Amino acid sequence: MTLTLCTGNYAAGHTLALAGEANRAARGCCGGAYPITPQTEIIEYLRAVAFTKGRVVPVESEHSAMGVCIGASIAGARAFTASSSNGLAYMTENVFAAGYYRLPIVMIAVNRTLGPPWNIWVDQGDSLALRDAPWLQFYCDSHQDLVDTIAVAFRVAEDLRVLLPVMVAMDGFITSHTNMVVDLLDQERMDDYLPLCNVPHQLRHSHPTTVGNLTWPRETERHRRDIQEAMERVPRVLDEAIGEFEAVFGRRVAGAIEAEETGDAETILIASSTMAATLRHVIRARRARGERIGMIRIKQFRPFPRADLVRAIGNAKRVGVLDRNHSPGSGGIFWSEVAASLRDASVLLQNYIAGIGGGDVTPETIDAIADDLTRRTAATDPVWQEIAV
Amino acid sequence: MIEMTLYGRGGQGGVTLAKLIASAWFARGKHAQAFGVYAAERSGAPIQAYVRVDDAEITNHNQIRKPDHVIVLDPTLIGGTILSGASIDGWIILNTPQQVRAWDAFSGRRIAAIDATAIAIRHGLGTRTTPIVNTTMMGAIARAFGFSLDEVRRLLNEYGYGGANLDAAREAFDSVEIVKLDGEPLIVKSTRPPAPISSLLDPDTGKPPAIRTGSWATRRPQRRTLTPPCNANCPAGNDVQRFLDEAARGDYDRALAVLLETSPLPGVCGRVCPAPCMISCNRHALDEGVNVRDIERFVADHANWPDPVTPWRRERAAIVGSGPAGISAAYHLARSGWHVALFESSDELGGVLRHGIPDYRLPKDVLDRELGFVLMHGVNAYVDSYINAPAVDALADAYDAVFVATGLQSSRSIDIANATQGIEFLDRVHRHDVVLTGQRVIVAGGGNTAVDAARSALRLGAASVRILYRRTRAEMPAIREEIDAALEEGVVLDELALPERFDAGRLQCIRVILGEPDSSGRRRPIPEPSSRFTIDCDQLILALGQEADRSIAGNANVFFGGDFATSDGTVAAAIGSGRRAAEVITHRFAPTERARIATTDDLHLNLFEHEPRHHALAVPPDLRRHNFLEVHAGIEDASAEARRCLSCGVCNRCDRCRDHCPDGILTRSGDEYRFDYDYCKGCGVCASECPRGVVVMEEI
Amino acid sequence: MSTIIADEPLLRPGNTNCAGCGMSIGLQWLDEAFADHRPYLVIPAACAIVTAGAFPTTAYGVPTLASTFASASAYATGVSVVAELNGDPHPTVCWAGDGGTYDIGVASLSAAAERNEDILYICYDNEIYGNTGGQRSSATPEGAMTSTTPRGKAEWKKDMVAIMAAHRIPYAATLSVAHRDDFLRKLRVARETRGFRFLLMLSPCPIGWKSSSDESIELIDLAVRCGLFPLYEVHDGERYTINSRPDGTDLREYLARQRRYAGTSLDPEVARVKIEKQWEFLEVMARLSS
Repeated sequence: MTLTLCTGNYAAGHTLALAGEANRAARGCCGGAYPITPQTEIIEYLRAVAFTKGRVVPVESEHSAMGVCIGASIAGARAFTASSSNGLAYMTENVFAAGYYRLPIVMIAVNRTLGPPWNIWVDQGDSLALRDAPWLQFYCDSHQDLVDTIAVAFRVAEDLRVLLPVMVAMDGFITSHTNMVVDLLDQERMDDYLPLCNVPHQLRHSHPTTVGNLTWPRETERHRRDIQEAMERVPRVLDEAIGEFEAVFGRRVAGAIEAEETGDAETILIASSTMAATLRHVIRARRARGERIGMIRIKQFRPFPRADLVRAIGNAKRVGVLDRNHSPGSGGIFWSEVAASLRDASVLLQNYIAGIGGGDVTPETIDAIADDLTRRTAATDPVWQEIAV
Repeated sequence: MIEMTLYGRGGQGGVTLAKLIASAWFARGKHAQAFGVYAAERSGAPIQAYVRVDDAEITNHNQIRKPDHVIVLDPTLIGGTILSGASIDGWIILNTPQQVRAWDAFSGRRIAAIDATAIAIRHGLGTRTTPIVNTTMMGAIARAFGFSLDEVRRLLNEYGYGGANLDAAREAFDSVEIVKLDGEPLIVKSTRPPAPISSLLDPDTGKPPAIRTGSWATRRPQRRTLTPPCNANCPAGNDVQRFLDEAARGDYDRALAVLLETSPLPGVCGRVCPAPCMISCNRHALDEGVNVRDIERFVADHANWPDPVTPWRRERAAIVGSGPAGISAAYHLARSGWHVALFESSDELGGVLRHGIPDYRLPKDVLDRELGFVLMHGVNAYVDSYINAPAVDALADAYDAVFVATGLQSSRSIDIANATQGIEFLDRVHRHDVVLTGQRVIVAGGGNTAVDAARSALRLGAASVRILYRRTRAEMPAIREEIDAALEEGVVLDELALPERFDAGRLQCIRVILGEPDSSGRRRPIPEPSSRFTIDCDQLILALGQEADRSIAGNANVFFGGDFATSDGTVAAAIGSGRRAAEVITHRFAPTERARIATTDDLHLNLFEHEPRHHALAVPPDLRRHNFLEVHAGIEDASAEARRCLSCGVCNRCDRCRDHCPDGILTRSGDEYRFDYDYCKGCGVCASECPRGVVVMEEI
Repeated sequence: MSTIIADEPLLRPGNTNCAGCGMSIGLQWLDEAFADHRPYLVIPAACAIVTAGAFPTTAYGVPTLASTFASASAYATGVSVVAELNGDPHPTVCWAGDGGTYDIGVASLSAAAERNEDILYICYDNEIYGNTGGQRSSATPEGAMTSTTPRGKAEWKKDMVAIMAAHRIPYAATLSVAHRDDFLRKLRVARETRGFRFLLMLSPCPIGWKSSSDESIELIDLAVRCGLFPLYEVHDGERYTINSRPDGTDLREYLARQRRYAGTSLDPEVARVKIEKQWEFLEVMARLSS
């Protein structure tokens, strides 16, 4: 373990590069790259890497960035890219294509508010707008979680039981541009950890196929069911991947959810990304004051970990979901997924919209939310938690 | 609720027809629904459309699986499968050119049948290759369902389908054949799709498509062979197209071999034939006809002559006359293995080739080369052997067959003193027995003999030479190029004049006018008494045509040919005559059916590049008129000129058809072309791209 | 490393292209020129991907990747880069219609050209969005009626070869199905050239042009001969070679055979002047290049 002080972007670029280089004994690595705030340092890092067998292509748009990844992946290479906000939106069509093509592409989503009007600060709406695409989604709460999850992402994506692309999200600026201490992985152990990339439906002249031609409803239905079944196999594969990571790197990476102090909790707050780190402080402080309160960090948004969540919620009577995102006409997106998971109508489930457009969610904000939740008699429509800035 | 299914092909307007049907009922106050099944609807691919009609609002949006009525827009889709789920009481409405008959699959059902394709094409609806039949079908459908013609008219006008569409619909309405077939109706259940469903990750995807697109075609390409006009018009029966094909490839030896199959005198014909092949050549419609004659000459002069065969049979033939007919008969008989004896009355072999055609047209070494080739087939030739009628009878006893080809021995004449016969004159020229220095020579006649006599006279030093002809230049039977050459050399042509009296250096002539056509089809010259005139003349040569000496009679094994029999007058005809005689004699003659002659309408002239004809070089007139050296030098590049041949109606494996087939279903193996009709869509590009009319589209 | 399936045609019989489709002819000749260099095909949304027919069968006998409409050049970049990284000699060929080239695909095309990716991009241009029923594209010529220009398109056709030449790519050229030897020669030149190559084929479309399927080739011949569709090559964006000059054929002969020009407001005289101006430019560039 060698500790470094660096930004989240640097750490992400570094890890992607290790993963790409680890495939040099097979078809190599390749990805398309297009800059957008706050992701640019990732692609700058990648463009400077002298891969043994790899190339990062500077394209003219995010749509093409994912296009290059798709071409590279179906040609058998390990493929990756990064984007954010409007870049993710512009990329949407090819994001769906990558998933439908069952390609193990890894993309770093540096969460940033969608616009215009332009806003460069953190908001999860950009990656969540793609939640219906057949991609795994992980939301990281720290630099270390980010680095480790990127490595795990390749392992899970390329597993033949999964074969789906993975989005690894981090908070724009808060993670991407903040310098923190992190253990950056090394090439030798990455080579150990990641098997060589093997795309079974790779384009081959020995057996020419056409990928993507007209597909009738019945075959399409089968195709979509296959994808769902692959999603259902993710918990098992993730568990193995995390186990193998621990064996190689000596560290246990967080899984789909992280529950803390939920065992006997009456009240549980749920959050994701760095807001969950802030939430942790609040929970520990309130616990110290004797409150039976716990928290759940949802890290894996797709596939949505219903069973894990329900188990972690246990007998808690009040559950609050913090969303730094909002679906107009509905509410927070994590909240709506949690609501769909909770069959127990006796649980008071309340949605708190906090940090939209990059607002600074402080411990005080979360304390206020916790106070509100514990005092409630009934759930109401999503509450917009006002932010000072 | 009424439900109906329409089966058609993309591009025929099936979806629009569904809408029209729905609209017809809508106009009567019903609720209606019309839609097509959208997929990869390429032109020609089978498609379905549906119509629902009901009194109540229609909320069912599924595809129809149990139609009350079935409508088929394309005859090639008619089959048992269209009955899938169909009610036995409903209509089957068909676009078909066939009469409704006892189709087994449709027994017991109500049928309405109309040839909508023919009607649509007649009214100009759609394109030639994809007629749009929907409005026509609407007429038939309306009649079956009890709509009035008025309702049809209003319906079509509402959609702007007036004019031809309306006429077509009306015609279909009036002429649709409606019948209920006997027997028990066949019930065909709705088909269920097959069980296994493939996935993107299955290892065995990517197999070829299962559709046999040949079922789309309404026309099919066929190959045919027509007779090129050159072949049809060659009196010798040469396969002109084939020898040009070999020459075009640069294989002069093979080209010569083709010629030698029919004619032993290619070098001769390549110089003196009037070339009806060239005159009939279709290439005139593009730029200029192919210079076949000079190619034949080139091939004869430059190719390697094959080894002759020697007789191997016991049969013996006698041939009287060593002109082209006799030479040809001798050659073909000898090639068939016969022993041949050739008798010639004069002191040299060759007949008119030797004595009647001057050296400047036909150098005698060329004649000797080809005569020599024939003789080397074991033919024994006897000169100075005059065979009269009794001698012919003797030959008939001694030989298995006798062929008499003595040509035209007597010259026609007019009653005029002091004149020389043209044929005799040319013979004396040949023997270097004439001097004409300073003389004013007049030749009467219009054929080759007259022109040859005139040009020879010039070369022998005549001070002036005129040809006197009783009709105009256009009617002169001599080869046109020879007439031109004579005039270039300074021969003067006097048209519409007859000689009357010749003596003391003056020739009295009379002008004529042309009256009604005579038995030869040419206008008859009528002397004008008031138009006599005289010209200075030292020598008058009459070349008014020749006739056969009819003293020789026939016999069982005596055959006649050449000019002696037919008076055709050309070397080529004589050659053909000699060959046919040999075939009859050896019992190998079989009249062949010939395909019709290819015309310019059969060709795609737009696919050929313009290229001027290679003309033979000729010695300039002012040089050549002083000697008997050969005037024409032939062409340099026979292969290039042969490549100008269009090969009318005969495939020369240019591969254009194959190269342009969009679906790659036309293949060639060796010389054989094959269409894969399982996949041919009938687009017709192959036929359009065949420059020579070999590939044509035929209705299925 | 590569295994060539020599006998497998690139476009298999049983494909669902319309009878007389110009694109089919182009694929046959691509097959011929690339007989020993079997390509990876990348095909955006276009008639050409419908050609493949329905999954799980395919009418393509080479590995083929369907891309989203705007992304053929991007997907092809990925395929091409990975092939190069792995010493894979199979060339990457984009086979795209005019919609995916001139319009929605023009950004990714321009970018791949600017990066000089090792891709052969062939546009079969039938001058409409054929797959969707025949709407106008920027490749639609002036005066042509389409389903979205019922009275004839007002604007002149975009000059895609000029745009590609401006990227200074190693090789750009126009192709005609009526000039087979020229077509094949250019495919071979493209095959032997490295970097980004762009070929534009005027593709007769009997359905879209409302012409007869057996006249497909003749129509293109007329287009070339009347000067409307020049046959030329551009090396490195600056060396122009003209392959065929107009021979005096009247533009009207070309227009008369297609019902998409029936009743159009196009003035052949105005068109003729524009054609002449384009030829002036080409002749100047050809002279500068010699």
